[in-house]
Amino acid sequence: MTASVLMAAEGLTVGYPTAEGVVRPLQGFDLTLREREIVGLIGDAGSGKSTAALALMGLVRPPGRIEAGRVALDGTDLMSLDEDRLREMRGREIGVIVQNPRAALNPMLRVGRQIGNVYRAHNDATAAEARARAVEMLRLVGINDPERRVSAYAHELSGGMAQRALIAMALSSEPRLLIADEPTSGLDVTIQAQFLDQMWDTVQKTGSAVLLISQDLGVIANYCDRVAVLHGGRIVEDRPVRAFFANPEHPYSREVLSLQRDAAGSGAERRTGPRGEAPLLAVEGLKKTFPIPGSAKVVQAVERADFTIAPRETLGLVGESGSGKTTVGRCLLRLEQATEGRITFRGQEISAMGARQMRAMRSKMQIVFQDPYDSINPRWTVRRILREPLDLHSKLDAPGKDRRVRELLDMVGLDPAWVDRKPRGLGSGALQRLNIARAIATDPDFIVLDEPTSVLAPQAISGLVALLRRLQDDLGLGFLFISHDLTTVQYLCHRVAVMYLGQIVEVGTVEQVFQDPQHPYSRALLAAHLFPDPASRRVEHRPPERLGGEIPSPVDLPEGCYLAGRCPHALDQCRIEPQALHELDDGRAVRCWQVVDGVLEVDA
Amino acid sequence: MITRYILRRFAIGTVQLLLLVVAVFFLIRLLPADPVSRFVGLNSSAEAYAQAERNLGLDRPIMVQLGHYLGLLPSEGPGLLQGSLGTSWVTGSPVATEIAGALPVTIELLTFSFMVALLVSVPVGMLAALRPGGAADKGVFVYSLFAGSQPEFWWGLLFVYVFFFTLGWAPAPLGVMSPLTSAPETVTGFVTVDSILAGRWDVLGEVLHHYMLPVATMVFILSGPIIKMVRQNMVRALASDFVLYARCAGLPKGRVAMYALRAAMAPSVTLIGILYGFMLGGAVLIESVFSLGGLGQYAIRSVLAFDYPAIQGVILIITAISLLVYLALDLIHAAIDPRVAY
Amino acid sequence: MADASLDDRAGAASTPRRRVDWLFWIGVGIVSTVTFLAAFGPVIAPYDPTLAMHPPSVPPPSPADWPGLWWGRLTGEIEAAPNWFGTDANGFDLFSRVISAPRVDLTIALAANALSLGLGIFLGLIAGYYRNVLTEGLMRVSDVLQSFPVFISAMILVALAGRSTLNIVIALALLYTPIYIRLTRSEVLTQRVRGYVEAARALGNPEIVIALRHVLPNSLAPALIQSSVTIGFAILLTAGLSFVGAGVRPPAPEWGLMISTGANQIILGEWWPSVFPGIAISLTVFGFAILGNALERRYEG
Repeated sequence: MTASVLMAAEGLTVGYPTAEGVVRPLQGFDLTLREREIVGLIGDAGSGKSTAALALMGLVRPPGRIEAGRVALDGTDLMSLDEDRLREMRGREIGVIVQNPRAALNPMLRVGRQIGNVYRAHNDATAAEARARAVEMLRLVGINDPERRVSAYAHELSGGMAQRALIAMALSSEPRLLIADEPTSGLDVTIQAQFLDQMWDTVQKTGSAVLLISQDLGVIANYCDRVAVLHGGRIVEDRPVRAFFANPEHPYSREVLSLQRDAAGSGAERRTGPRGEAPLLAVEGLKKTFPIPGSAKVVQAVERADFTIAPRETLGLVGESGSGKTTVGRCLLRLEQATEGRITFRGQEISAMGARQMRAMRSKMQIVFQDPYDSINPRWTVRRILREPLDLHSKLDAPGKDRRVRELLDMVGLDPAWVDRKPRGLGSGALQRLNIARAIATDPDFIVLDEPTSVLAPQAISGLVALLRRLQDDLGLGFLFISHDLTTVQYLCHRVAVMYLGQIVEVGTVEQVFQDPQHPYSRALLAAHLFPDPASRRVEHRPPERLGGEIPSPVDLPEGCYLAGRCPHALDQCRIEPQALHELDDGRAVRCWQVVDGVLEVDA
Repeated sequence: MITRYILRRFAIGTVQLLLLVVAVFFLIRLLPADPVSRFVGLNSSAEAYAQAERNLGLDRPIMVQLGHYLGLLPSEGPGLLQGSLGTSWVTGSPVATEIAGALPVTIELLTFSFMVALLVSVPVGMLAALRPGGAADKGVFVYSLFAGSQPEFWWGLLFVYVFFFTLGWAPAPLGVMSPLTSAPETVTGFVTVDSILAGRWDVLGEVLHHYMLPVATMVFILSGPIIKMVRQNMVRALASDFVLYARCAGLPKGRVAMYALRAAMAPSVTLIGILYGFMLGGAVLIESVFSLGGLGQYAIRSVLAFDYPAIQGVILIITAISLLVYLALDLIHAAIDPRVAY
Repeated sequence: MADASLDDRAGAASTPRRRVDWLFWIGVGIVSTVTFLAAFGPVIAPYDPTLAMHPPSVPPPSPADWPGLWWGRLTGEIEAAPNWFGTDANGFDLFSRVISAPRVDLTIALAANALSLGLGIFLGLIAGYYRNVLTEGLMRVSDVLQSFPVFISAMILVALAGRSTLNIVIALALLYTPIYIRLTRSEVLTQRVRGYVEAARALGNPEIVIALRHVLPNSLAPALIQSSVTIGFAILLTAGLSFVGAGVRPPAPEWGLMISTGANQIILGEWWPSVFPGIAISLTVFGFAILGNALERRYEG
């Protein structure tokens, strides 16, 4: 592709005055984009990616300012334009979509009005024409029933829908460059795939170039032509996507890619789980509903979940937000009282235990939460945090407890000299290790890991996952690993359970589920997952397994199979008959009669 | 849908008021005050005391007194449910009539004050918000912190000393018009409105002149919290993602300003309502300094005289008006902000 | 250090912090002076603030005479202390009364605040942590209390209960408690669903331990910030009550009472009996407002 240069940024430097002097998230940022090209920009959280997105249009969040550099669009230096001319360029030549689309939409105005306002800011149009353009754009980005949706307010839209409205606005004047700043953060994988496919189709039609900013290597590998790496305020690597993934040059890039490499490399030596022994944990018919205040209806979070976890085994629990996977984990530890069902741990039925007995039991089963900042008392020192479980459950004397605290810090790879620090100054990766240290303090047999990696930076994730594997080997722990990130699940788990709307729809070994998923939902989930592998890019062969529509509300669930409304294979029988989890010959279990009866038609 | 909402709010409000009335009724009777000896004097004979107690109805069981007040005992004459607030123990005239005479002054004082305060404070607050941390913002911040924490009665006196005694610009702090002026015919009870209706421009001018200092005092006190709130909401709106995005999309400056303004106004409306309700009771001291003869001064008189029916009436009316104001402003808020559902 | 000039400019632009600093120290200065006077005001006052023993309505000496009077006092040439702020219509020495008043005003405000803060935090913690019919009932009662017009309610409570210092304290405490209940409860409601509370539960702590050791210390900030504001408003309210004749009884040295005594004279041009106590209230309440604001910023930032 030897298209001509569309935009070139040179030496862009942005400074924010603070009490400690000027902080510069960008320092000599250079980047070139050619016509119709999709360039991925990656970098840590806080590395200045969003600042770069704004600075390319001559904008900075106050009180910062652009201190140096030029941005040439078709040879015109934007920084030399006066504010009025610059404003005209924004929106007409450069369109932007941002993360958190609902906050970017004006909450007070109807979506159609907002799109119309933007359109009229750059085109000579009447109110009626602008409205017509809004409807047209909403249709183009794949919103059903755009005539009705133009009169919606931002708070009435789902996250995916709001992101589409935003892209409709950004592309309404057919800009030649679209800057997409983490457009899918916060969206579920199946919705993310829908959105990115649609975005790709749309820019193919409008002929815009795209700067796609993301932390997700899967997104980058599947949609971008070129990758630029932002580190320390400047671009440290800028290469075609395949070359980048095959052979990253900068140490930072290598670090970022290491998790993926480890995952690929470890496939052969992954242990099959130690099955056969008496299960460590058995769950039968677990059900959890939440009452809705002022209504007879209930929210169904979990429905009839059955599974077992063997000693030293990791069961992955995957699914999108609202699938009930977190609730399952909380019910196991009785942080949430299950509505129905039996939970047996080491042969004892804990679902029937009294409060005192259960408290004693907690030394043997623990949990690590998603948000490491939130799950640690901000006022306590590291020492006090780690002593809490020892004070509750161990018979050690004071010096013994102190020794144990240091030992725990060492086990999770933290500096034992940190005992008197408070959580405030620690990073998210260190805090999550502290959470793990607290969880293993009393030598438990089983730990629920509730999305422990979801707020961490890519390189912190790889370290944490390695730590978890090591701890499992050293201490003989059983894990329930709850996650929506299939890459980590593949690396850490022996078996996987896939959840959709409170039901487990498929359980099997990692090989079974990842290589050959059976249930239509598992297939769609796997297909929508963007593995960071530029060799088989989604944009080059779009997988057939795609779900339509949006996830139904857990309050008004369909009568038959919960997936029937979105499933491409749904038959009349699916819509009527509730589905049960059936075990297949190869040991896995699937909740789909078509799979069980072997009548599911799949186009390979 | 909106009518249903209003009706529901009225229903809830009525229940709230009823509970409040009962609570106040018991509260003032629980306190160790002795209104009877206040009326007959401490050294009166036991007979005179008993007679006075009978006259006030305080000799009967408390539940009977309550029933009488609420109007649940038809043989005893009208009560609250029939729209009567009872009879003042001091003057013997109906409390409702007395309050109707005092209320308009308070409403006028508050309304003028809020109008002026908003006219002054909103632009100042927005100006401060344009450059957070700038010199204007700093000055405005210190001012609003100061004005928001001041003894209003003392500032009233100070203004009287400066503008009446020293400069002679303002009239003496003795009511809303000079006792020599013949008042216009009472139609609405609001002197300003009545004088306009009667075409008495001279009276209107005089009344506004008399309102000058009390309104100025009140504006000074009110400007603190209003400026602070407008500034805060405006800063938040200007720093919001959707204003930044509007700039990213290349909207003209004026349009971006409108986006921010509307977002800043919506939350301010509710807070202004709360402030209005608060000042209904808080105007007491300013009315007292300027002898305006409004509801606040009526409250002082009633409390010091242990005039129970009047006290109950005042609290009931103030709370009822606050609830109405809250409702009106909630409706305005909902009209501005589509996220607010009924 | 090629960017030194740039850094300097950035330093100038970030003065909001510095501004808060000098303002903060003014607040600290005011509040500590008032606290000092509450402790020692009556001791260092030149005259007994409750004895009328001077000629009435004497204006204060003109500022030009102050250095001379000072010097005279120091060298002992002038035997009786001058009436620095003049005297009021009853013949009280205003200076002695102004500096003795914090013992009444500040004590009432601090006591009322301490009572309502303690009660409010306790009830707020219970109402937020244990949600049941009982605590919901408590919230409704506190709603009703909060919907009373504050000043008029205080007037009623004090006037009908008897105009004593203790009754003022109780009345103010009663009126301010709902604010603290509400603030603490809403903070408890956000804290009790935080991850660290769940983690404490998962570790096997009993509920009462979680409530006291984890939730309570993390839920105090809003109430503590509010208390600085409340103390200021309590001083205003105490003075206002005296002003309308429903507060402490004369001749107790109290700022509102002094303003009230001077109010009748101000139309006649006798400004000093009300102006000096007024300045004292004005500065005191401003001082507490500054501290409240500084705490709020620290908590939010």
